[in-house]
Amino acid sequence: MSPLMFSTLLLALGLGSTVTFSSSHWLLAWMGLEINSLAMVPLMARPHFPRAVEAATKYFLAQATAAAMILFAGMTNAWMTGQWTIEMMTHPLPLTLVTLALGLKIGLAPVHAWLPEVLQGVDLTTGLILSTWQKLAPLALLLQLPHGNSPLLIILALSSTLIGGWAGLNQTQLRKILAYSSIAHLGWMMVILQYAPSLTLLALLTYIVMTSSIFLLFKLNNTTNINALATSHTKIPVLTLFAPFILLSLGGLPPLTGFMPKWLILHELTMQGMGTLATITALTALLSLYFYLRLSYSMSLTMSPNNLLTSPLWRLRPHQPTLPLAISATSATMLLPLTPAAFLVR
Amino acid sequence: MSLTKITRLPSARLLSSIIQQQQLFLLPPITPVMTVSKRSMLQGEYRRPGQPKEDKFPWEKIKFDFAKGLEGIKKHFTLLKTECFERFVGPEGRPLTVHILEQNRVIWEFRGPESLEQWTVSSDREIGGQSEVYLKLGKNNTCFLYGTLSSTPPRDGETRYSGYCTMRSKQLLASFDRKKHHDWTSFNCLHLRVRGDGRPWMINIAGENYFSYRKDDIYNYFLHTRGGPYWQDVKIPFSKFFLTNRGRILDDQYYLWLDKINTIGFTLGDKTDGPFQLEIDFIGVCKDHAHTEEFAYEMNKKNP
Repeated sequence: MSPLMFSTLLLALGLGSTVTFSSSHWLLAWMGLEINSLAMVPLMARPHFPRAVEAATKYFLAQATAAAMILFAGMTNAWMTGQWTIEMMTHPLPLTLVTLALGLKIGLAPVHAWLPEVLQGVDLTTGLILSTWQKLAPLALLLQLPHGNSPLLIILALSSTLIGGWAGLNQTQLRKILAYSSIAHLGWMMVILQYAPSLTLLALLTYIVMTSSIFLLFKLNNTTNINALATSHTKIPVLTLFAPFILLSLGGLPPLTGFMPKWLILHELTMQGMGTLATITALTALLSLYFYLRLSYSMSLTMSPNNLLTSPLWRLRPHQPTLPLAISATSATMLLPLTPAAFLVR
Repeated sequence: MSLTKITRLPSARLLSSIIQQQQLFLLPPITPVMTVSKRSMLQGEYRRPGQPKEDKFPWEKIKFDFAKGLEGIKKHFTLLKTECFERFVGPEGRPLTVHILEQNRVIWEFRGPESLEQWTVSSDREIGGQSEVYLKLGKNNTCFLYGTLSSTPPRDGETRYSGYCTMRSKQLLASFDRKKHHDWTSFNCLHLRVRGDGRPWMINIAGENYFSYRKDDIYNYFLHTRGGPYWQDVKIPFSKFFLTNRGRILDDQYYLWLDKINTIGFTLGDKTDGPFQLEIDFIGVCKDHAHTEEFAYEMNKKNP
């Protein structure tokens, strides 16, 4: 792709999300989401493999449906209550519709079916943008909505954590595993949305940091399945040492960063009197932890007897920039001491 | 109300008065009896040579059977239960250590008659040609594909070339007849043990496609058999396979994605009449760490 077109598309991607962040009118928010998805489609179809084109088509269909539903919900609200403001969507019908539509946009279960296939069809960099940047705009809208006592959010959250954990167990493709991990984390974000939206934002930010580090790790090792991961210890041995920490941080184990949002969410749910929900959500996190452990087992805790017949790659300087991985990996493992204690003191 | 076998127009006797009047007005005479056969109603006026003769209406072909239904329910729910619980053993039912250490995997091994159930054979007999192909379990418990090739084209006025025989694996199915795919991303070579008769065969690998205009996209490569009494070990890297559609090589080539393979097949179409045979011991995939080629064919740069 020509550098001019590529940079235009990246700028449009940034612009779309920024327009949505700064909007308070549904039409402007919808416009930002559309710019975002339309800019993403050529970036996904860039290699022109049929699998990439297929992924771009599936992505476009899912996002266009969601955008149409959002527009419809906004217009229904304007018709029923006269309000176009995002924060004033109090009528239950458009509120339910827009929650489902935004769930489709980000890939919440039970409307998650497009996400694993789409992530599998694109390369790791595009997958990184899809998992991190593309979640920001719809979540910004979800955070502004006035959810009352919403059982829909609980259903979306529980099914996401359960399906994300359960379906991820059957995968050997790393991108599909990360798609299901994304679904599970989004479930955790949704479960606390109506009680403490700031915790949703915290969970989102830690998720972005952890996912970026794992995508960059796989990109550096150039691995897309478990078998290739097993022989990656010859490429960058230091990363092989560090990778389990990043994976277990995604799994939510203390004393790593990933424990922070889970801890605070469980604490808040218990304070709100939702102990059973907290227990079930924590139990479903065990499923995700199992497949993260599998990945760290195959990568670092076992040494594959299969040798790569190339020169020891650790002797060569990597061509890809390693600074983003250095920053995100450090943040993904060492930020637990920065837990905002305001959520714990009640 | 059931349809009668032959439909007729009203009897000619009633039309006699009209016929006389028409003769007065110099109109062409009406044929006394017109019949439409059941077969032409079902398959149109022209039946392609090679198509089976249709004698029954579609609703006459259905066999309702309660026992068959119960058997189907049992089979599908058993498959579903296996799918739900096999993931605790490991991805796709295999333990994780297998996935980590795997360098070779035998996909099809012909050790019993039930292994032949996974394959289907066809030849140009479907379009009216005269080739024959049969599949049986060979003497050494191997797959034995044999038959006769005949390149006489069928006399239907439109086919110019003929003479092919093929054997293709059936689509894998999960519970409730959902498609399941082979995932060969851990490997990069196809390993076959065959004993042919010196004829050049073509291996076809079909992956999963999303768009309908790609439904016949198949990856092909050649298999030159040696003939003779000795078994031949053939290792073909997947990077050598090129993309075709209905026999024509496509301009837009890309390498074979191994994560969703549907079927593999062997075709013989070397324009030589006569008998042929191919014996296959096993079909497997292997990983050759020394083979780092991604795709064997160069493409022009698009959108520079």
